[in-house]
Amino acid sequence: MAAPPSTLHETELVILAQRGDRNAFGELAQRHARGVLGVAYRLCGESQLAEDAAQETFLRAWLNLSSFHPQTSLRNWLYRIAVNAVTDMLRKDRRLAPEDVTEMDLTDPHPGPESRVTRDERSALVTRAVLSLPEASRAVLVLKEYEGLSYQEIANLLDIPLGTVMSRLNYARKRLKEILQPQLSVYAEVENA
Amino acid sequence: MPDHVNNWINAYLDGELRGSRLAQVESHLDECAECRAELASLQALSGLLHEAPLPDFPSAKRFAANVVLGLPRKPETPLGRKALEVAWWLVPVALTAAWVFVQTTLLLSDWIGAAGRLGLLETPASAWLTPAAPQETLLSALLSQTGVLGGSGVQLLRSVSAFFDSTLVQIVWQVSIGLLYLAWIASWWARLSRRGYGQPLAAGSRPQVK
Ligand SMILES: [Zn+2]
Repeated sequence: MAAPPSTLHETELVILAQRGDRNAFGELAQRHARGVLGVAYRLCGESQLAEDAAQETFLRAWLNLSSFHPQTSLRNWLYRIAVNAVTDMLRKDRRLAPEDVTEMDLTDPHPGPESRVTRDERSALVTRAVLSLPEASRAVLVLKEYEGLSYQEIANLLDIPLGTVMSRLNYARKRLKEILQPQLSVYAEVENA
Repeated sequence: MPDHVNNWINAYLDGELRGSRLAQVESHLDECAECRAELASLQALSGLLHEAPLPDFPSAKRFAANVVLGLPRKPETPLGRKALEVAWWLVPVALTAAWVFVQTTLLLSDWIGAAGRLGLLETPASAWLTPAAPQETLLSALLSQTGVLGGSGVQLLRSVSAFFDSTLVQIVWQVSIGLLYLAWIASWWARLSRRGYGQPLAAGSRPQVK
């Protein structure tokens, strides 16, 4: 009898799944669910949409599994599919386009020197600030900041040159610092307190 | 103050610098308060970004169970892919077969033509199998009629055009088969390089940025 999927190495699971083993694929999906859901959510800022995109990611992965090389990083391959799936979904439904985040959404709900936004409000502002970035820089920022991928991995994953990864990341962080300036100073105070 | 290292502070923060570039940025940071402040603000930004939590997603187990439920019966049938693969490799085989066929046909028609000229074949079939070579080409006829060329000149031109009549056909065939072959090789390369994605993504490979 075969070993339970949870004890197998990822490469073995991939090979089993490539032969049509759904349980092996389920185990892979379980191992990468957090990561793919996280990437999808950071890219679209909407939990239901992120879940749909993550489901779509694993469906596409299953359908194209024979083109995946088991020696390479499954995580990065899945992230690549996830970025595309989210992009497709956002394009299909223009109402959800994060670029539509208005200036209003990004302003402090309680302006003034005495203002202290709550922690929840602050994270909402952060999420919206990330969503206000252009699609291309947002993907680079999310993969670096939240997933900790190396520049080279991001370059391979998004099919862009290393220099472009760096310039998009520089741009994204510069823009976020501008948008989040008030929150940044509060955050720095809290951290130093 | 010497050149600031603004363009490298992100890469420094992300641990992507190595060697002399890393040393250069580090020594600049030691003496430049402005760049130190920039680094600190980027670190603060990173901390702030991580303050935004993920929503409550279903557990990985439940999510994976849903994934499996939604899967179609089979992944892309390995059989269909195999068939495509086989068809793909049949292209050069088919091209080679076409080439052999054309060569054989040309050779046969040469032989039949030669046999016909020697009077070995008297059947009407040989009439249309015989290449057009011995007949006057339009050009040579025209030239002799307009008196541009004398008798021996026409003779020369006739043999030259006869040569080209059959050689040209062969060349055209071979060149087009050769071009198709090259096109196949080109797309084969394109496929290879497209599939090459991910090869350099060995775990922990953190290439340096010069
Ligand atoms: Zn400086």
